[in-house]
Amino acid sequence: MQKALLVGIIVSLISGLISVFVVLRQMSFIGAGISHAAFGGVAIGFFTGINPTITAIFYCIAVAIGIELVSRKGKVSEDVSIGIFFAASMALGIVLVSLSKKYNVDLYGYLFGNILAITDREVLLSLFVAVLVIGVIILFLKEIFLITYNEEIARVGGIPVRLINMLFLIALSVSIVISMKIVGIILISALLVIPGATAQLFAKNLYLMIVTSCGVAVLSTVLGLFFSYEFDIAPGGSIVLTATALFLTALLFKRRQ
Amino acid sequence: MKAIEIKNLIVKLDGREVLKDINLSLDEGRFIGIVGPNGGGKTTLLRAILGLIKTASGEIQIFGRPPEEVLKTGNIFGYLPQTLKIRQNFPVRVIDVVMMGRYGKIGRLRWPGEKDRRKAIECLSMMNVEELKDVPFGLLSGGQQQRASIARALAGEPKILILDEPSTSIDVVGQEDFYHLLKGLQKKFGITILMASHDIGAITTYVDEIACLNCIFHYHGNPLGALNETVLTGLYGKKVDLLLHTDICDKCERLRRE
Repeated sequence: MQKALLVGIIVSLISGLISVFVVLRQMSFIGAGISHAAFGGVAIGFFTGINPTITAIFYCIAVAIGIELVSRKGKVSEDVSIGIFFAASMALGIVLVSLSKKYNVDLYGYLFGNILAITDREVLLSLFVAVLVIGVIILFLKEIFLITYNEEIARVGGIPVRLINMLFLIALSVSIVISMKIVGIILISALLVIPGATAQLFAKNLYLMIVTSCGVAVLSTVLGLFFSYEFDIAPGGSIVLTATALFLTALLFKRRQ
Repeated sequence: MKAIEIKNLIVKLDGREVLKDINLSLDEGRFIGIVGPNGGGKTTLLRAILGLIKTASGEIQIFGRPPEEVLKTGNIFGYLPQTLKIRQNFPVRVIDVVMMGRYGKIGRLRWPGEKDRRKAIECLSMMNVEELKDVPFGLLSGGQQQRASIARALAGEPKILILDEPSTSIDVVGQEDFYHLLKGLQKKFGITILMASHDIGAITTYVDEIACLNCIFHYHGNPLGALNETVLTGLYGKKVDLLLHTDICDKCERLRRE
């Protein structure tokens, strides 16, 4: 349980930060798409015998770049390309899994989360990823923010927009994969949207939004894990329901204002 | 060295020629207005100059360098795009928006400092919106947003200011003040200003030169020369009724009496 809490907090800090930009850049569909595409990446890992987390990271990055490239060429709109990659990846995963039935138990863990099976190695991995992702985003915070505000003004200001957009997609993919063990593939996208959406209700500037979003994410995870322990319910669902409750409360509060 | 030098420019969008035979030579510190009908290529020309779009043929030089190179430096242009679709709940205050204009100057991997903040506030007060600095940007009126956006464009200390239809969200009175302000900036800092507008009447009083654009330049030169039936009919493709206001205008006489 302690490891789950530790990894949970680390992962929710990452999610909280990324969520701000997913919400501001209106990327919740891309987030959902990449999250579910991770299933394909995990299945490849099972099939080939390579660590599923590693294969998932590379697979998600490939999907993210694929979506970018396909929609940039202009022939297909972005939401269509997301829909296609999303579905195709899941289909790939289903086919690969059907080819070898013995991995079903592990699979369940990846789909719905498996906090009890978190190894020390995974704790270190999540810490490493946190430093990397949070570090990169903080380093390019003003650039990412300006691109979010208006891409052309950012380009005129000398910012390498395509590069930074790509960097963000990679950071997004990595954070998605790292969250798999806590909430499961099916629910990861919730952590990419709810904290940021809650923060946006009240935030007057970017820093406040980031702090609030991380706060919501961490609180949801800690409370969610606590409830799951107390009432013996699925931790992934518990965390996301807690986050949803926080969002609805915030919404109510905002209406009253 | 000319601020902007364009030779035989052709720009195509989706295979269609949007700009053809464009030649322009603009000295530093000049204020030029580009007028013409919607769809005539004004925005396209501005974006080609900025380096945001690829050109089919011809040459553009900004202080002797091609636009792609200038784009990398980020400190020559200040840009006001035509429409700024900002969601109302985007977490920016006015001061944050103006600070964004400094990012190109601050450079990669560095945080904005006190000097940047002071410059941002200076630009805000130049545009008479300093007291709004902590207000969420989305809550400002169209005119106020426009002024704050100009402050943003100026904050990076640009050599060339590119404004695309800057007066769309400002009322007529506001527009006069606005052009006045631009003229003041030009005089004070020697900035080169390129402004695209479909409002031919108002800007002729303020600009040094005018170019009439509808796929090609139908005219380029002294502002008053543009207010000419042949030029305007060629530009807009239709018969144009020109209303010129003078001191003995009888319509105004009627309004004054009432």
